[in-house]
Amino acid sequence: MIGALLQRIGPQALRIIALALVLALVVLFFASQIDNYLNGRLFNRISSSVAVMMLIATGQTLVILTRNIDLSVGSVVGFTAFATGLMIDAMPDMPPLLLVAFAMAVGACFGAFNGFFVAYARVPAIIVTLATMALFRSALVELSDGTSINTAMLPQWLVQFPNTRLFEIGAFQFRAGFVCALLVVLVVHVALARLRPLRRLYAVGSNPEAAAMAGIDTRRVVFAAFVMAGALTGLAGFMFLARLGNITVVAGLGLELQSVAAAVLGGVNIFGGSGTVFGAFIGAVLVDLIDTSLTRWPLVSEFWREAVLGGLILVAVTADAVLMRRLVGLKGSRKPSRRALAEAKAGAAKTEGGRS
Amino acid sequence: MKSLFLGTTAAALIFAGSAAMAQTKIEGGTDANMVLLPKFLGILVFDQAHEGAQEAHAELKNGGELLFVGPTPENSVAGQIELMTTAATQGQAAVMLSNNAGDQVAPAAKAAQEAGTHVVTWDSPIPSGEGEDVFVAQVDFGSIGTVMAEMAHSILNGEGEMAILSASPDAANQNAWIAALEEALKEDKYQGIKLVDTVYGNDQSEMSYNRALGLVDKHPNLGLIMSPTTVGIQATAKAMQDEGLCDQIKVSGLGLPSEMVSYTMNGCAPEFALWDFRDLGYLTYYTAYAIATGQIEPELGASFTAGRMGDYAIEEDPGRKGAKRILMGDFTVYNKDNVEAAAK
Repeated sequence: MIGALLQRIGPQALRIIALALVLALVVLFFASQIDNYLNGRLFNRISSSVAVMMLIATGQTLVILTRNIDLSVGSVVGFTAFATGLMIDAMPDMPPLLLVAFAMAVGACFGAFNGFFVAYARVPAIIVTLATMALFRSALVELSDGTSINTAMLPQWLVQFPNTRLFEIGAFQFRAGFVCALLVVLVVHVALARLRPLRRLYAVGSNPEAAAMAGIDTRRVVFAAFVMAGALTGLAGFMFLARLGNITVVAGLGLELQSVAAAVLGGVNIFGGSGTVFGAFIGAVLVDLIDTSLTRWPLVSEFWREAVLGGLILVAVTADAVLMRRLVGLKGSRKPSRRALAEAKAGAAKTEGGRS
Repeated sequence: MKSLFLGTTAAALIFAGSAAMAQTKIEGGTDANMVLLPKFLGILVFDQAHEGAQEAHAELKNGGELLFVGPTPENSVAGQIELMTTAATQGQAAVMLSNNAGDQVAPAAKAAQEAGTHVVTWDSPIPSGEGEDVFVAQVDFGSIGTVMAEMAHSILNGEGEMAILSASPDAANQNAWIAALEEALKEDKYQGIKLVDTVYGNDQSEMSYNRALGLVDKHPNLGLIMSPTTVGIQATAKAMQDEGLCDQIKVSGLGLPSEMVSYTMNGCAPEFALWDFRDLGYLTYYTAYAIATGQIEPELGASFTAGRMGDYAIEEDPGRKGAKRILMGDFTVYNKDNVEAAAK
């Protein structure tokens, strides 16, 4: 029965299932450790705080798929959040959608800057984005001129937007910030799976030479990946501003590592070519869950929290990899019945009945 | 009546002080290149300190340069050490440092002193006092403990649980203030107040915001979050407001009136305190200039007049054995009555 199911599920879906299992294990573990843990409040906390990271992780996934990496995302989030705050402070009547577009455009410009050096100057992405991480941060220091953005400078609609409750299921509140971010994630996920131009990201990532032979302009694809990732990161900057209100020059510091962790945990292959946006989303939830839960875990002192977080990420990745291998192994062991698969495709109901 | 009495005592003390030693009046006009080195660039309070230093720089007609340089936020510790070394190599007359590097900066500061560059710390000292001429303390670090305990007492009506949300675990000033608060809470008056937890938001909005909510979830009976950092207090107040927790959990600590005014007016943060960073920059500049131009020696008992701010003397730092400090003075407690005026 399990075998039959596994036969039908693609490796990506399998990975997401494995990840969901790990997620459940982590929740169960902390539920056994922390009083009053499993309730609607946990969902509300995680969903509101992950809204920023899931957008960044989505962008990071696009870049990693093409065998690259973007370490400048933290600085881009900080800069966009600050610039967007300045913009709305200068023009308080600006329509919301235009402000969102502005944030995405600023992010896309940074993405294009990265993309140009990676795709056309052929400098390794890790070097380019390491440099731009510092460059963009310094640009923010210049832009801010020692001031900071605070809630009083922002219009009410912006400050209230992320926490507006759209609907509730029991004690689970679905807030506007999270729901919007989730919609973006799903749209990008589906587009990546279905649209031909976006499938090129996979082609370039899994085998650049073959992709070039097939007539794909690999440089343009890599450039486009960085621009799209920049726009998504800019959107995350908008979300960051709306959620926190107070933006200083340290805004977004350290998000690059979290976003890479989320993507890799979510099954995006760091060597490019495979992975899904939805997986990265679950990875982001996992990182946020571990971080939030550790704050509440009395056994771990403040000073060890980082180490424990790192350790748990390592364990989660390992568990995920082992589980994955097991599942793939299980799948492999059914190989002799490949004929059954053909039959299953032909007449699903009958074959399945015969097997169980 | 009480304040009159205190005023008289203070006046008497000042008279006694000036009778005991002559105040050096600081003369301007001598050129000296000075470096103001904050924890990192781009934080409002440090820019205010810079303004204060510029005011003193102009007032003293220093023909030398006043440089305002600092590391970027992600590189604060290493950057401060590097900038300290650079200043010594350039032969700057004095470096004014708000230390974020703990004792790690001490070797570089000592080397700078040996090269003839004076090191005056402000805002946050070098914990061991090594490599430092003198520390210009914004307020008495012990009295910060008392003020925070007093605010907690008044907000909690004398009874309840409180937690601390600090900046980074290795900021010397933060740790000294937390220790002072713990010390102050031992007094009988505050025995109804229980300090249940301390967490760190690293002066980042997002981390502070999440840590504040973590505190709420971890301690169901929490009544107050005390955050002795301007970024932390603001993030905490926003988190409580966003989650509709302001009735249950209050916020206090050290904050800027312009950033806290809305939270004070709506009751989320009924009271908080701060000192004037412009004054701190001004006094620090006067001190560094006086030492760099040889008008005073950085020794115990040396005293001088710092322009518009009046008389100051170098004394022993009660919090750091063997180290010297200059005490700037009091700070202001803000509440509904005075925060709006201060925010403008």
